[in-house]
Amino acid sequence: MKVGIVGVGFMGMTHAQAWSETEAQIGGIIAETESEAQALAARYGAIVYPNLEAMLPNVDVVDICTPTHTHYEMVIVAASQGKDIICEKPLARAVEQAKEMINTCRKYGVQLFVAHVVRFFPEYKLAKDAIDEGQIGRPGVLRLSRGSFRPKKPVGNWFLDEAKSGGILMDLMIHDFDYARWIAGEVKTIFAKKVSSGNPDAPIDYGLAILKHENGAISHISGAWAYPPPTFRTHIEIAGDAGLIEFDSDATAPITSLLQSRESDSQDVGLPSSPLSESPYTTQIKEFYAALQGHKSARVSAADGLAAVQIAEGALDSARLGKAIELENLAEVRS
Amino acid sequence: MKIGIMSFAHHHGEAYIQNLRANPGVELVGVADNESDRGKRIAEQHGTQFFQTYNSLIDAGPDGVIICSENNQHRPLVELAAAGGIHVLCEKPIAATVLDARAIVNACNQANVILMTAFPMRFSTPLMEVKSRIDSGELGEIYCFSATNQGELPKKHRDWFVDKDSAGGGALMDHTVHLVDIMRWYLASEVREVYAQTNKIFHAEEVEVETGSLELITFEDGRFASIDSSWSRPQYWPSWGGLAFEMITERGAIIVDAFRQNLTIYRKDLGRAGWAYWGSDANQAMVDEFINAIQDNRQPAVTGYDGLKAVEVVEAAYRSAEGGQPVSLPLE
Repeated sequence: MKVGIVGVGFMGMTHAQAWSETEAQIGGIIAETESEAQALAARYGAIVYPNLEAMLPNVDVVDICTPTHTHYEMVIVAASQGKDIICEKPLARAVEQAKEMINTCRKYGVQLFVAHVVRFFPEYKLAKDAIDEGQIGRPGVLRLSRGSFRPKKPVGNWFLDEAKSGGILMDLMIHDFDYARWIAGEVKTIFAKKVSSGNPDAPIDYGLAILKHENGAISHISGAWAYPPPTFRTHIEIAGDAGLIEFDSDATAPITSLLQSRESDSQDVGLPSSPLSESPYTTQIKEFYAALQGHKSARVSAADGLAAVQIAEGALDSARLGKAIELENLAEVRS
Repeated sequence: MKIGIMSFAHHHGEAYIQNLRANPGVELVGVADNESDRGKRIAEQHGTQFFQTYNSLIDAGPDGVIICSENNQHRPLVELAAAGGIHVLCEKPIAATVLDARAIVNACNQANVILMTAFPMRFSTPLMEVKSRIDSGELGEIYCFSATNQGELPKKHRDWFVDKDSAGGGALMDHTVHLVDIMRWYLASEVREVYAQTNKIFHAEEVEVETGSLELITFEDGRFASIDSSWSRPQYWPSWGGLAFEMITERGAIIVDAFRQNLTIYRKDLGRAGWAYWGSDANQAMVDEFINAIQDNRQPAVTGYDGLKAVEVVEAAYRSAEGGQPVSLPLE
């Protein structure tokens, strides 16, 4: 199986590393400019292609690690060429696009996976398993939070362009929207607020959302691009009628460094890190790889990706309109 | 300074006896309770006089009373005290309805007596520290809060806490007001809009009121805050619950846990860990402020009006939970 990776930012590089731990071959790499792709291509013996059209005939699977607003067009093109696809989250910038992506993939009989990597983090998976086993009874109130610093980019910072990324509610909080839905099921209504500082000396974005699930559970989701680099922290609290699960990334860090400070550059985006024998990104790619070969199904589907985009879009609408948004049943999700 | 206590329906009443005794300027004149067995027992335990009726306690001429009745009994007791010209410290929430809360505030205004709401978190040393850091300008402009005031099912203290009539509601009624008051204090702004979702998944078989509650409130100046007031702590958690928040400002975030100052004690008798609090006693500082306000003939640091403003948010939250959309304040 030959994989073509589109995008060489943090996610493209991470996926390339993950693919290298499978039997698949990284056949091609595309970046905005060919020179940006050279280093990664050299490391994995891949060919640099100038664009998607040039790469598609030479690969079996396309792994799309580009900014959110570009996912739609690339998926449509790759699907129409009969290629299986892995797409970074959010699946698309808009619900209508995500629906069309799924339907196009169905039409051409290709597989589409969305990289909601949080489902592959062991702490999140273990909590899900514990709940499925009934360890805390029926979940009633979920609290999920995720916080870091505002993403930096030397040029063209698409993260901060809400038209491209959907901002903090879609780009960051979609992780926990997806997870809340994984735990407590379909979401009926959402109410959200967000603040984005326009002051360049105060790089702060923060979002809050309350979800009501169809089964009666309620979820509180918060997302922060507000902390000083290199902070990245996550928190889970799931209260059930027969128990409570808590997770705090700071409290469970096995190593705390209190080193005399030395000036150092932090990375462009905040990243989770806990020492593990296998990166969750690798676990994810391995599972998609097995699913592509028909060996086993993946724990997250394109329909899940669409549902997460729908929740995030509802959050954006709610924050803009100041009212609670009722989410409609999507045939692509329910079927 | 003579102080009495009216009703021990709220278990805080017993703690207030200790707080009053710890204040050298105070003479505890006695206690009254419509449940006379309970009142007599507590009066005996603490070596103070038991009055058979609330009127007889008023007749004994205290300067002030602390009212620890069920929420729906606050109004008649405050009105009785105010009519007697006696200053009042009233347990929170000051009432179960805005109607009663307004009547309580008006009665004390007309009688020209002090009305203080028992919001001990105003006297929590960590929360006071945050207030002074806000006021110093160090933290810059405040943007929003994500806050929790979760607890265990309070039924183990008293049954009426989970009774719709006596308490006025469940988790939303019980725990929302503390954080609303803290945020009004920090922001010096009033709540403009309230959104709430509630459910009853915890203790579904045991109680009729809501046990899960999330709110998102917006202040007049557009700043916003979430409050989780759920009774989501299991009885085998290390403590009763807690009050914590993350405050986002233009400088980043401040993460505050008002009850973090504790020891973790692994107890064989409990079969689990417990948290033993060693921080400063906010109830003591609150009771002392009530005494000082009476002494100095001035308004206390937290008033009946503050209690009323918090109850307005609670009532709006219930309407929102019922209607599914945010509800604007002031209520019509």
